[in-house]
Amino acid sequence: MALVNLTGIQAGDFTVLAEDQTPAEGATVAVPLSRLRDEGDDFFKVAGPVGAVLATDTNYTDLAPLMNKLAFVVIDFPAFGDGRGFSLAVRLRKDLGFKGEIRATGPVIPDQALFLLRAGFDTVEVSDAREAAFKAALKRFDTFYQTDYTGQVSLAHARHGKNQERKAS
Amino acid sequence: MARKIKGPQMIVANRLLDGRVVFMKADGTWSAVAGDAAVAADEAGVEALEVLAQKSADENYVLSIEVIDATERDGKPFPAHMKFAMQAKGPSVRPDLGYQVSPAWEQTDL
Amino acid sequence: MYAYDKYDHALVNSRVAEFRDQVERRVKGELTEEEFRPLRLMNGLYLQLHAYMLRVAVPYGTLSADQMRTLAHIARKYDKGYGHFTTRQNIQYNWPKLSDTPDILQELADVEMHAIQTSGNCIRNVTTDQFAGATADEIADPRPYAELIRQWSSFHPEFSFLPRKFKIAITGADIDRAAVKWHDIGLVVKKNDAGEVGFEVLVGGGMGRTPVIAKTIRDFLPEKDLLSYLEAILRVYNEQGRRDNKYKARIKILVDALGADEYARQTEEEWQKIKDLPIDFPAEEAARIKAFFAPPPLQVLEDNVPAVDELAKKNFIFGAWLKNNTNQHKVPGHVNVTISLKPHGGIPGDATAEQMELVAALADEYSQGELRISHEQNLILPHVAKKDLPAIWTDLDEAGLGIPNAGLLTDMIACPGLDYCSLANARSIPLAQELGKRFDDFKRLQDIGPLKIKISGCINSCGHHHAGHIGILGVDRKGEENYQLLLGGSGAEDASKAAILGPGFDENGVIDAIEKVVAVYLGERTDGEEFLATYRRVGPDVFKEAVYGTR
Repeated sequence: MALVNLTGIQAGDFTVLAEDQTPAEGATVAVPLSRLRDEGDDFFKVAGPVGAVLATDTNYTDLAPLMNKLAFVVIDFPAFGDGRGFSLAVRLRKDLGFKGEIRATGPVIPDQALFLLRAGFDTVEVSDAREAAFKAALKRFDTFYQTDYTGQVSLAHARHGKNQERKAS
Repeated sequence: MARKIKGPQMIVANRLLDGRVVFMKADGTWSAVAGDAAVAADEAGVEALEVLAQKSADENYVLSIEVIDATERDGKPFPAHMKFAMQAKGPSVRPDLGYQVSPAWEQTDL
Repeated sequence: MYAYDKYDHALVNSRVAEFRDQVERRVKGELTEEEFRPLRLMNGLYLQLHAYMLRVAVPYGTLSADQMRTLAHIARKYDKGYGHFTTRQNIQYNWPKLSDTPDILQELADVEMHAIQTSGNCIRNVTTDQFAGATADEIADPRPYAELIRQWSSFHPEFSFLPRKFKIAITGADIDRAAVKWHDIGLVVKKNDAGEVGFEVLVGGGMGRTPVIAKTIRDFLPEKDLLSYLEAILRVYNEQGRRDNKYKARIKILVDALGADEYARQTEEEWQKIKDLPIDFPAEEAARIKAFFAPPPLQVLEDNVPAVDELAKKNFIFGAWLKNNTNQHKVPGHVNVTISLKPHGGIPGDATAEQMELVAALADEYSQGELRISHEQNLILPHVAKKDLPAIWTDLDEAGLGIPNAGLLTDMIACPGLDYCSLANARSIPLAQELGKRFDDFKRLQDIGPLKIKISGCINSCGHHHAGHIGILGVDRKGEENYQLLLGGSGAEDASKAAILGPGFDENGVIDAIEKVVAVYLGERTDGEEFLATYRRVGPDVFKEAVYGTR
């Protein structure tokens, strides 16, 4: 496995804990959201930086109480066509103001690299064989029709020299 | 993976590069002519054909492999169902197009 | 017409390069078919029964004569000399090779066309009124909004892997020629009391195996908020639309499950959070795009043209064509001409390369170099001076395109059906051909009047049978083609779902049944009453009795 860094963030080096595994004191670990909810503060006391592994069907409002405790988030795609993962990343940035690393895992494909970046992902775990294709796909487009939540403003604005303006009302 | 089959079966697919309809022969190569198709009469035979066909898919030569009911026409295999018979012939509303014109219609070696 | 700037060109060219790379990776085995399939679909490429099929977008149904000539050139060079115009204002080629498609897409990109998002689980080509910007009954030209939506929805980072396909239609006229109520999102251009332009927003319409008519979730959305509001609708759908069953994955199912009020509430809640972000187009961009759709400089002319009336009196076919195939333009003395692609016995929506070139030449000479595609699978010459009609009709007639049946019984919608389509259960085209032969009498057709027949070869209803005054649905009954007859649908502003009349028929049986249905209508109608009105007034029973007999 290789890690493609989309944004240049300082990528986390963590272990994914098994269901019944106790974190080593101070260790950087990723665990399923359900476990963080069940074990609550106890878990955070023992471990070092903690990340949540999220299924694509996670309701973002469930994450709100954890926001100031999570160091990073992993969104695990069950299939590359499960577009909920993109909206979940958008929700983390836009609605929850999450600034930490968002990582994509699962069978995402190189052709989604720019979509992942623009939805708010920082990193993506890919097979070694596909690392080059992922990096090439990142360079495919350099102009975008949409404003997104990562600072990219739409071409409709850029055409008129409006790069960061709010909508006139 | 044994499954019950109702009658003789043959395999149809489309070629990856040009999409043209092809039927699998007994040696695992493909023909534009339905009558060239290998026909399996039992489950074991069907599974053997599927293994062969999958090999062609793995080699990126065909896609959309279908195991279909076979009947006979002029003593040769032919798809039993109207949908696959359409594939063997070409569009009924354009008799000037498709294999109904000639078995070699538009076939190029790929 | 909209003209690409350097950014649009760069984006479409990048897309072609991307697809060329994807095809190469697929052929080399670096992409599996499972991975490649959605990528090729998002470039309009299907695998059908006999070959690949490429669906090219004609954005909101407007194209130039030069673009039409490119479509003809592609038909000739890469296909079998013809193309099929569809109910979504696209054109389909039936025989392209996978290995040729990057070159085809490049030829399209060179004339500012593409096949982007004409398929796949993404936001599809936006459709609209074929007479947009040219019809007398319009509030505002919907095409600038369609173009703004086209740009916003192209390569959307969040909405390219939706639960299912997503279709948006917009109309700027009270008479709905775009079937907006049958779309995932329907937009109706409106003006408020202050005279400002905005939209009524409908969601959750769709055909398929569960026909649903869209429901209004907002009576008036200001123009400047269009994209942020669409984004809110799409986000709710992308998050909550079902992904466990593709037959329940369209937005109509979610709107039904939540209720339209709840869908509206969630949309509104999300929209409030994003409406002040720079998601929407700035006013300068709206102005830039609207300028491309400025009305052509037409002279006001006399509506009465004696030479036209005289020919209409002398030649019944021309007279019928004048009555049926022209629509009043907003500039006096002008009309929009519908070129019917429904010759009796022909294939609905098909046009040869030569026919496309003829129509392009006519557009250059008579319609400002502009053409339209209608969702009813016909071609339109907009902005035509009435005095030019005899010359235009003569040229069309010589090429087999002068058929005066627009809006009449033989102006049918038909999907490609089992002759081409890998999803179909029965053929559609032979039925349309047989109907054309059975009703090949323009005096009789004229007497029957406006009647929309829509034929689908399977439950996916690409032939809009749910919205037909008379709908036909082809099914596979124990290996035999069987056709169900539906009555009472409408795709217009008075949208309604057609209802199945009774047991199905074979091909001849269903055509006999249509003859009986028409006979009942002729017997029951009051003076000037059209088929649908009579059906709605008298109900299905009298039709049922005529078709199936009394029990």
